[in-house]
Amino acid sequence: MTTSVDRLQKPRTFKPWPYLLIAPSLLALVLILGFPVYKLISLSFQRYGLAEIIAGKGVFVGLDNFKETFTDIEFWKILERTLIFTAGMVAVSIIVGAWLAHLMVNMHPLIRKALNGVLILVWAMPQLVSISVWRWLFSFNFSIVTALINSLGFEMDNHNYFVNTFSGFLIIGGCVAWGALPFITISIYAALTQVPKDLIEAAEIDGANPRQVFRNITLPMLLPVYIILISLSTIWDFQIFSHIWIFLDSRPSAEYYTMAIYAFQKSFGLSEYGKGAAISLIMIFSLVGVTGYYLRQMMRMGDE
Amino acid sequence: MKRTSSSIFANISGIFAIVLMGFPVYWMVTTSFKPKGDILSTKPTILPHSFSLSNYVEAVTKEGFSKALINSVIVVFFTVTISLFVALFASIAVARMKFKGKRIYVASILMVQMLPLSALLIPLYLLLSKLNLTDKLAGVILTYIAFILPFVVWTLRGFLVNIPAELEEAALVDGCTKPQAYRLVLFPLMAPGLVATAIFAFIQAWNEFLLAYILLSSQDKATMPIWLAGFTNRFGTDWGPLMAASTLTAIPVVIFFSLIQDKIATGVTAGAVKG
Repeated sequence: MTTSVDRLQKPRTFKPWPYLLIAPSLLALVLILGFPVYKLISLSFQRYGLAEIIAGKGVFVGLDNFKETFTDIEFWKILERTLIFTAGMVAVSIIVGAWLAHLMVNMHPLIRKALNGVLILVWAMPQLVSISVWRWLFSFNFSIVTALINSLGFEMDNHNYFVNTFSGFLIIGGCVAWGALPFITISIYAALTQVPKDLIEAAEIDGANPRQVFRNITLPMLLPVYIILISLSTIWDFQIFSHIWIFLDSRPSAEYYTMAIYAFQKSFGLSEYGKGAAISLIMIFSLVGVTGYYLRQMMRMGDE
Repeated sequence: MKRTSSSIFANISGIFAIVLMGFPVYWMVTTSFKPKGDILSTKPTILPHSFSLSNYVEAVTKEGFSKALINSVIVVFFTVTISLFVALFASIAVARMKFKGKRIYVASILMVQMLPLSALLIPLYLLLSKLNLTDKLAGVILTYIAFILPFVVWTLRGFLVNIPAELEEAALVDGCTKPQAYRLVLFPLMAPGLVATAIFAFIQAWNEFLLAYILLSSQDKATMPIWLAGFTNRFGTDWGPLMAASTLTAIPVVIFFSLIQDKIATGVTAGAVKG
């Protein structure tokens, strides 16, 4: 699609322009992201604690950090917890988002506009703001949610929702999903409106029922959007840190550890940077499949 | 047709969703205008019955507010201008030129976007402390640029490929040089895209918490999200002023967001559905 300009130039001469144009961005990425990735890999093979920080040099220990991590029962528990938490949040936010988006098509324009406005408003909430508000909704002493539950005839004054990890994770997950829903819903709705109407009409004329239209036209056309949204949500939800950290007053108990918190505690809490790096690397590798899938989808879009 | 029954169901669900999604924001704003006595009540009511600005006064006069605001503005300004400038060049190369290694460059741009930030905290911290850039706004700005750049390049590329190359071609035929063609024809056409991308980068930098939390330790370096986190200390949380501060922090984002909402609606997934 861009060849028309290039064609004006003589072929076979080396053109430095594109390389000069991408050079600054490449430099920034290599310096501030490429180097840390390299550093992360090399750290994961080192013992790097307080003594090594002062010496400015780690001690090479081979695969010890990985061995210790993989033989730690705690690690497997945390990995399992993180995976379940991620899967739950992705599933809920994608299903609810898709459901809402499909309903939006049939809504009265006024209601649709109002819903769109609310979604934009929620989308605009800075992460720390949404966490603060949710903490307030479920606070220990003066929670409106507790008051509403009480008004239904229950008796649960001064309920601490975070003593029980299940309700704790439910609330944290709710806050994450609440923040993610607008992006998901609006993206799916936007994609839905791009599905050509004549295609659907043609199918209806040919006798297709709504379910067939959905399965044979809408769903296949929306599939790329779903793939992108699911991969992005997985990557975002898998690395959740701030929500858990702030909800639990910057000192989450071990039952609340997820991979990101675990790596953070190992390195910044216990000063075992080598082990923290190994855990972080395992995090990145757990996401390789999802990332690959996303990458393929995006590259395909970029090619066309 | 059963269109009516399905639209009744859709409308009811819509209203339900509006109430449920909107409630936290409603509760934040109404709490922020309540006097202390109403906030610290074990029997809160949905509808407010008194009005007070005391929370806002307390939030704004709380230590560090003006400093945090200035710091956030500095961080946002440099992050947005530098990343936009750098990304503009790169996006022209990607959208308008053919060169060896383009696929690799695009792939790495997309891949970098997928790196989990929390996994890179350790080496980033160590790298910046070696460069003497921890607890400095410059260090935060540098990392923000790197994390925002891929998104900005990709989005600008999206806007660029939608502008037909024939327009610049015509300018070239009329005797313009290539830089002139870009400056006089291309840039004015992509101005709306540039503005939208700048606003999006602004929001990212304004909202970011984790990196700033790790990299900045002293109180006078705090950005707005760090300042917000400071409302909770070991004695508990000052809910009223926190809700006022949260509302204040959200306002600029809400304003900017509503300006670009039609653009972001299709943003990430643009071109995914082939009509």
